Amino acid sequence: MGILNIGTSALNANLVALQTIGNNIANVNTAGYSRQSAIQTTVQGQFTGAGYIGKGVSVETIARNYNDFLTRQSTLAAANQFADQTRSDQLAQLSTIFQGGTNGIGASVNDMLNAFSDVASAPTDLTARTVALTRIDETARRMRAASQSLDDLQTGVSQSISEKVKAVNTLAQNIADVNAQIARVQGNGQTPNDLLDKRDQLILNINQYVQTSSMAAPDGTVGVFIGGSQALVLGTKASTLSVDKNDFGDPNQSKLYITQASASSSTKVAMDENQLGGGQISGLLRFQNNDLVEGRNLLGRLTTTVTTSMNEQHALGLDLSGQPGGPLFASINVSANILAPVPPATPNTGSVTLGSNPATDLTLSISQITATSKGSSDFVASDYQVNVIDAQHITVTRLSDGAVVPVDPANPTVPQVFDPTNLATPITFDGLTLTNLSGAKAGDRFYLKPFAGAANNIQREFSTPASLAVASPIVGSMGTTNQGSLQLASLAATTRPTVTPPATVAPQVKIAFLSGTSYTINGVAAATPYVSGQPILNTDPANGWALTLQGSPQAGDSFTVLDIKDASAGVTQRLNGGNATALMGLRDKVSFDGAPMSDGYASLIAQIGVRTQSANYTATVSTNIATNAQKELTGVTGVNLDEEAAKLLQYQQAYQASAKMIQIAQSIFDTMIQTLGR
Amino acid sequence: MPVTSFSRLGTSNAYNSTIANLQSRQNSLSNLQESLSSGKKINTPSDDPTGSAQAERALTRLSRIATDQRALEAQRNSISNAESTLSDITSALQDVRDLVTSAGNASFGNAERKNVANQITGLRQRILSLANTQDSNGQPLFAALGSALAPFTGPSGGTPDYSFNGLAGTAAGGTYTIAPAMDGDSAFMLQPARDGAYNVGATGASGNVVTDNVVKVDSSLINGSAYGIQITGFAGNIVNYAITETPTPVPPAATAPATGFATWSATQGFTITDMPGLSLKVNGTPTVGDTLTVDPSTSIFGTLDNAVKGITNATTSNQASQAVTQALQNIDISMARISAVRGQAGDLLNRADSITSTNDKRTIEQTANKSRAEDVDMIQAVSDFQKQQTGYQAALQSYAQIQKLSLFTYIS
Repeated sequence: MGILNIGTSALNANLVALQTIGNNIANVNTAGYSRQSAIQTTVQGQFTGAGYIGKGVSVETIARNYNDFLTRQSTLAAANQFADQTRSDQLAQLSTIFQGGTNGIGASVNDMLNAFSDVASAPTDLTARTVALTRIDETARRMRAASQSLDDLQTGVSQSISEKVKAVNTLAQNIADVNAQIARVQGNGQTPNDLLDKRDQLILNINQYVQTSSMAAPDGTVGVFIGGSQALVLGTKASTLSVDKNDFGDPNQSKLYITQASASSSTKVAMDENQLGGGQISGLLRFQNNDLVEGRNLLGRLTTTVTTSMNEQHALGLDLSGQPGGPLFASINVSANILAPVPPATPNTGSVTLGSNPATDLTLSISQITATSKGSSDFVASDYQVNVIDAQHITVTRLSDGAVVPVDPANPTVPQVFDPTNLATPITFDGLTLTNLSGAKAGDRFYLKPFAGAANNIQREFSTPASLAVASPIVGSMGTTNQGSLQLASLAATTRPTVTPPATVAPQVKIAFLSGTSYTINGVAAATPYVSGQPILNTDPANGWALTLQGSPQAGDSFTVLDIKDASAGVTQRLNGGNATALMGLRDKVSFDGAPMSDGYASLIAQIGVRTQSANYTATVSTNIATNAQKELTGVTGVNLDEEAAKLLQYQQAYQASAKMIQIAQSIFDTMIQTLGR
Repeated sequence: MPVTSFSRLGTSNAYNSTIANLQSRQNSLSNLQESLSSGKKINTPSDDPTGSAQAERALTRLSRIATDQRALEAQRNSISNAESTLSDITSALQDVRDLVTSAGNASFGNAERKNVANQITGLRQRILSLANTQDSNGQPLFAALGSALAPFTGPSGGTPDYSFNGLAGTAAGGTYTIAPAMDGDSAFMLQPARDGAYNVGATGASGNVVTDNVVKVDSSLINGSAYGIQITGFAGNIVNYAITETPTPVPPAATAPATGFATWSATQGFTITDMPGLSLKVNGTPTVGDTLTVDPSTSIFGTLDNAVKGITNATTSNQASQAVTQALQNIDISMARISAVRGQAGDLLNRADSITSTNDKRTIEQTANKSRAEDVDMIQAVSDFQKQQTGYQAALQSYAQIQKLSLFTYIS
């Protein structure tokens, strides 16, 4: 009897082993499948006088080969890989918007400024003027196109984030369901291998979107947490993620919110983006809130600086009919994007209003050029956050580098606070001036986006070539009896009368040289030292100019600066191209962190390029880490076909042997029955 | 429990990672191919941010050099036009000089002199219109620091008879530019103090006196006034005369006395030194009532007009000779002015040439910079490509080989 039973148990056990092997082979390519093995154990032997006689074999359990640590490591690595890869892919798209070469924005800006060279050579040539106007249009068009591409990218990213948030919510619910199933079968003493695999795979899938940490509960369920401590799945309940605008309701920046599953608190809790860790959502959020914002700011600053400088210079010139120049580009309202917190964030309590009335509403403008501010040359491509500490103190934080910018020029060594008698005083920082802050209360916050929308609507203002103001309003003349080698290097207006057109002809200014090294202005006694090539400035606010003379004068030599409309000048204003030369000279205007205007785009490309490159490196590294972690994990959990083939042979033989055992038992029976039958 | 070992390989993972590796090799092969076919090693800025910024800057420099060069061509064009115009004017003045000389021929009568004067008038018109020439862009060639469309106007009938409607002076050239126009004031307008060009006419009772040219003694005293000198007495060796000065100079400018005297000799005549900064030698025997007019010549055109006037109005050979002497002197002064400005023009053209060659060098330099920054090193790229290709081939072959290896193949 014994041998038959043993044979049967062996046959069964080996069949189960073969089935398990078959299952492994069948699932060789199933994602998340952990290989299983049948654990066989000896059936307790029967005690006899001759000792314990074996009673065969049984299958104790089907073991699941897995390693908790490696699973976690692999999941984490995958989350990071997805975050970095997503950001890198998006940045690659961003960097294609800022292409270099002849089709880039930089080339169009330079072509535009260079086009004024031909106008300066032939101020009356309408073709040259038309070309300049076309170049201006082209520059505006390219800036708008880049802005449009950024918007498209933004839309794509926003959609992508909300889709992924939906996917996370579905997956979280699935995990909660699997938790419930596992808890139900918890009591039966065997591990539900396939459910565990399924749950691990779901967790891996959720980590594709957002990094989680998990913690096993005694009832077999697993709690899944995101952002460090927020429960996404707790037992059999799943929380809901949602994505919305940030504290300031900025449409270009989003934030992740979580609504807890427990019924008691149905409020949305904002997740700190920096706590999210890996996952595509966090990669996309980081791209949208940092990289894309920087891209917009860089483009916006380029647009603002170039167009503002050109408008300012153009306004100093005279057109073919003698009228002062109007704006070349639609003027940019840097004040357009001031934001205050919106619910669910705590709203401001002060009485500062946001709106378009510069007299009463909080207003941001380009600061005047003073001893401490260089206007648009000081621009930094960044957003700013203003925090009101109390009725006399604020901090302004530059978000691109997190620096608190000095806002009190009188006291730059203490950058943290601003301490005028009240907040009504304009505050100047980084080429921008903030006014009408009176009424702010402690705790109030404002978000300033001076450049974000600059390139959206930039366009050329007029198309009449004759209206291009390329004549300089002032001209100069050497004394006809000059003996020295004086030459005119440059003469350009710096300010113009506010009355348009100016009511009177500006008075002549005569610079009379007393010797080779000094001169008087309009006969005023005090002699001023003369240095060849150094500018002589007239700072009259209504009629300022900068004059540079070269060469060495002799006593009695003179130079006269006069209005171009001064009859005694005898000049045909139409033939003058002085302001075209000045417009062309903007190429060398120091702006963009000290680079000349013509090179501004090159540094923009480099900045975006470096970002993209470093994101790409990071993505490569985290992909390698994830690949290795995956390899190590599958080293434990993965099915190896050769191994299974070997085991197949092994258990097949054992199975055949067991069958042989039964055959022998049968023949023993037969022998016995035959013997008895005799 | 089975012993876990990191040397185990998940079959599926092994396949997947091999395929991923193959794909990445194929990717880099395709990137190399793109570089090879486009000739650029930078296909997007992120490939090499510094390099692409360098390339962008070099592109900016190149387009700027091209712009500078085009502006320079326009400037060179104007200046070389101005130079050749000045050359035409010089030869016209040479013709005038020959005509004036011929007018001094003692055998000429009024009719012949009239004829010569007509020819000079024609040349004067030609010279005036040459001085008002514009370049192809409509800018006057002699606009100096700015002028009316026709900088030179006249004769106005007043004093001065010709005027320069513009701003005298020269623009300094920049590093890559030269002045766009020549100083017409300096070329065609005469300054009494600087040039000392005066036209002296001798009229009056006897018609015996002729004068030399006015000689500049002290430039700083010359005030540019016109003088009328009338002989009021001639007794013994002493010549007395009255001087009228128009306009009356404003102090502190030097003024001529109302009367003066000079010592006369039969061989030397007498010399008037009372006009501030000037001296005038008078030949012949003066007669009371003889009048000398000393008028500053303020432009080349005025000089020619004076010559025409003098030659036309001359009724005696003495008067003709007086007119000829004055005209020749003033024409020479004018030619000296023009050739000085021509010299400047030549100098500017030389500068333009040297700037052009500098621009050429900079273009080559920047093109090289641009190429260094963004162009692919073909030899390196081809070699890299072959290396990658070999690697990819090896990977494919080994993958195919390993795929055949399975224990199942041997179970039959």
